Amino acid sequence: MVYYGEEDEEEKENLTVRELLTEIKDISEVIVDLAYAALLFDSQEIGAEVHHLCSRMDTLNHEIKIRMMIASRTAQDAIQLSGLLQVAEGAAAISAAAGDIVELLELNPKGNPIVSLVLKEAEEKIRLLTLSDRSDMRGKSLEDLSVETETGMRVIAIKRGIRWIYDPEETERLKECDLLVVRGTEDGYERLRCFTSGVNKWPVYPEEE
Amino acid sequence: MGLEEMLLEIKDTSELMVDLAYSSLLYNNRDIAEEVYQLDGRMRELENEIQEMAIEKATEDKDIKKALLVIRLAQSVGEISKAALKIADVVRRDVPPHPVIQLALRETDVIITSVVVGEGSDLDGATLGKVRLATNTGMYAIAVRRGRRYIYGPNKTTTIMGGDTLYVRGPEDGEQYFRDLASGKEHLGPDDLKGP
Repeated sequence: MVYYGEEDEEEKENLTVRELLTEIKDISEVIVDLAYAALLFDSQEIGAEVHHLCSRMDTLNHEIKIRMMIASRTAQDAIQLSGLLQVAEGAAAISAAAGDIVELLELNPKGNPIVSLVLKEAEEKIRLLTLSDRSDMRGKSLEDLSVETETGMRVIAIKRGIRWIYDPEETERLKECDLLVVRGTEDGYERLRCFTSGVNKWPVYPEEE
Repeated sequence: MGLEEMLLEIKDTSELMVDLAYSSLLYNNRDIAEEVYQLDGRMRELENEIQEMAIEKATEDKDIKKALLVIRLAQSVGEISKAALKIADVVRRDVPPHPVIQLALRETDVIITSVVVGEGSDLDGATLGKVRLATNTGMYAIAVRRGRRYIYGPNKTTTIMGGDTLYVRGPEDGEQYFRDLASGKEHLGPDDLKGP
């Protein structure tokens, strides 16, 4: 297992409690989707990213605990801050569960139709889309397009050549042949597919004055 | 109920529980927190049934790995629901949640928001499937409050009424359009209502 979280060590010092908790919550959301994606696509690479996020989560949790202890002055403080810690612990438990899901890769999920069936039938599914050279989404950033607002589909990872981009930044520009790992409803998937294949043009709205 | 169906239900329920848990915190809402507890009871039931059925199947087809995969997956999904419970539990204290929690939740990639549906808006009297709420706004409905009653985890067939409070989850840049649509300021185009 490869952990490569060391480069984050220095910047954490500057994060506020609010920022720490925001990142903790963000990880707890995307890590579960990535874990299911790892199972669905039988991908050790996505699995490694889940483990990386797990260790980042541990670091953040440790940091937030220390901050809470320093900040607590009165019994009232302690009650409220312990609640905050409990939220962080809950989020950490979610990420630990995602880590356990990824361990299931050892049990050959590909050879077990039930898992892929469940992940494909779920209310919100994880799907793959390739960006066609005919799609006008090429060269635009996720922010320019507002992909999720427009289609209800969240891009949880992008595979570009042999490189993976997990939980891409809003400023990430899409490129031809990008493989998008998306999460959302069937209806939203169908809508997004029309855009990624180039069948439909990405809608443009008049600027509001 | 078959193994697939049960696994599907626990997966969808675990996700709903997490959304509801964060919503209960954001709004310091005990009703929503209570629902997380209710759903957890159902999760435990299903988890047990899945275990039994998987073992039963393994004694027939001798495929131990397959059974193990199913049991362990169900267990991990169960862990997610227990984590949701832990988060929702914070609302059940006598002291309101620390204000930083709410600030942090508003800053996340996936936000939770709520809106009162306007009478005469496109949502008034329509099912979530007809207005294709998630596809058209990016916002995914997690609960509806109608008077004192709640509908948790509404689906395509759930009808929305004017005056309902709609709790949703989605991207921040989708919030304004969603609000305008729900209040009746914005309307869906004919293409938005049609499926692809």
